[in-house]
Amino acid sequence: MPRPEFTLNDLLHNSVERDPQKVAVVDGDAEYSYEDLERESRSLAAALVDAGVAKGDRVGVLVEKSWEAIVSMLAASRIGAAYVNVNPLFKAPQIEYLTQDCDIRVMIGDTAKLEELQPRTVETAFYKGEKPQGAAAKSYASVKEALWGDGLKEDRRVSEVDLGTILYTSGSTGMPKGVATSQRNVVVGAQIVSSYLENGPQDRLLSALPLNFDAGMSQFTTSLRAGATLYLLRSRLPGDLLKGLRRHEITGATGVPPLWSLLLRGAKSLRENPLTHLRYLANTGGRIPQANLDELRRLLEPAGTRIYLMYGLTEAFRSTYLAPEEIHRSSPEQGNCIGKAIPNTEIMVINKEGKEAAPGEPGELVHRGPTVAMGYWGNEEATQKAYRPNPLAPPELLDVERVVYSGDTVTWDEEGFLYFLGREDAMIKNQGYRLSPEEVENLLIASGLVNEACAFGVENPAVGQDVIAVISLRENADGNAVDSIREYALKNGPPYMIPKEILVRDELPKTGSGKIDRKGISSAYTDG
Amino acid sequence: MVSGNGDARAAIRRWLQKNVTGGRDVANDEPLIENGVMTSLQTVELVTFLEDEFNIMVEDDEFDEENFGSVDAIATLVEGKAA
Repeated sequence: MPRPEFTLNDLLHNSVERDPQKVAVVDGDAEYSYEDLERESRSLAAALVDAGVAKGDRVGVLVEKSWEAIVSMLAASRIGAAYVNVNPLFKAPQIEYLTQDCDIRVMIGDTAKLEELQPRTVETAFYKGEKPQGAAAKSYASVKEALWGDGLKEDRRVSEVDLGTILYTSGSTGMPKGVATSQRNVVVGAQIVSSYLENGPQDRLLSALPLNFDAGMSQFTTSLRAGATLYLLRSRLPGDLLKGLRRHEITGATGVPPLWSLLLRGAKSLRENPLTHLRYLANTGGRIPQANLDELRRLLEPAGTRIYLMYGLTEAFRSTYLAPEEIHRSSPEQGNCIGKAIPNTEIMVINKEGKEAAPGEPGELVHRGPTVAMGYWGNEEATQKAYRPNPLAPPELLDVERVVYSGDTVTWDEEGFLYFLGREDAMIKNQGYRLSPEEVENLLIASGLVNEACAFGVENPAVGQDVIAVISLRENADGNAVDSIREYALKNGPPYMIPKEILVRDELPKTGSGKIDRKGISSAYTDG
Repeated sequence: MVSGNGDARAAIRRWLQKNVTGGRDVANDEPLIENGVMTSLQTVELVTFLEDEFNIMVEDDEFDEENFGSVDAIATLVEGKAA
């Protein structure tokens, strides 16, 4: 009997019961069935319990996208612990920040990554590879052995309101925040997405996005729910993308705009040998440059591929999508159409007076529905700002229902289609990643050569926004300072956080209140 | 002036040091894609550099992990083309 879907473990249970031998995950040349997923997640869960992981604890997943990463998420879920997938591009300072922020004591990681961490970063580390040198953890255990050990006798009692995962994402200010996401959020997200993408057991899905990214994780959970096969792709080089799509006869792929421009490098091959198995392609994480969208449509639609344009907020998982049959609405004439709310969800456009905006009037996109997450982990101020009472609820409901204020300015037309207009704050989006200016500024200042720094984004359709930094130098800086700063940043930060240009000024302009005038500096740069 | 073939490894490592690793030298056989040393965008930039520096063309189907997985692999591809 299929179980009602409350937790991630229910999704696993149902897919195992439907077809235990069915291939769930393909990692390189290795294929793993749903039964393998059941058995190995049970074994790893037992090892996590032995390592002292209690219900509600956070378990870090610092392995590159792999079979072990997939098993880790399910193992933590089985025992009511929350998995925290760590961005594989993170360097030691970002990993250590995140580990402290949500108090991760047990980490499952690749040996090389664990070796970069400072002593005593975590209590226990499960390593993939050789036993790590150094003392990043008090004690070490092998993932390989844990996957083959005795399984958990009985799953812990887990309910849909338990914390399922924490998704780290950046906002407009400060350091990255952890979006606390419940089991219910994850499961309902999978139900919603798999319903409009019409996923089923016959699907072969290409996982090209990182698992720490909401849409990348959602692809795994939708595949799990549908009983489909997920193909893990680590390389995003055009040759590998094309080979992956062809060799595995992929039926669905989700990606961010830069991925499609890489795919389009293989336009000739796509023209000569169309991808007849590819049922759909779904974009998220920013707008595809119009020329690329037009070319994708020209190359893929004749072979039967449908293109979904999705818009999501990590704070509420997925929010809207533009269905393939409406794709003409996203055009230079009509604007950046993001479609309508996903199923079981309501999107409101709220104007400055806190009232519902009229068609054509700009307002803030406000998301209401079952994927609204629990809030930002350990950050009451930010939580209260983004997660607010539903402004349109009857007062008798006593403001108990919370909705997400996205910070994105949108408008809608008479038919209810939503159009993205922009953001008023300083959040930067580069290659599908969100960044706050402070994260870039803190990284540059940590080099010890920078006195003041001001970072901002400048529109560049190819990547979303370029990161630009204007700095003043400390007295100890020499003629090669900019090179040294860049070198430091590359060593200590993920690639998308590194400014494309670093400009040096004697002093940075200030506002009346003495703060660095980011708006003024940014418009002076854009105006040349 | 095109660099001699023997310099391919050195030129690639210099480029990686400057644009990817922040000064850390990369071993010739160190995995670049598998270990996430290089992002896809950086690989595209590397291809542009190689095409200019060695006056070669990299075809789409050659642009994969097998040919770009390590300094050795990239150098082999470049040398095969420049020969």
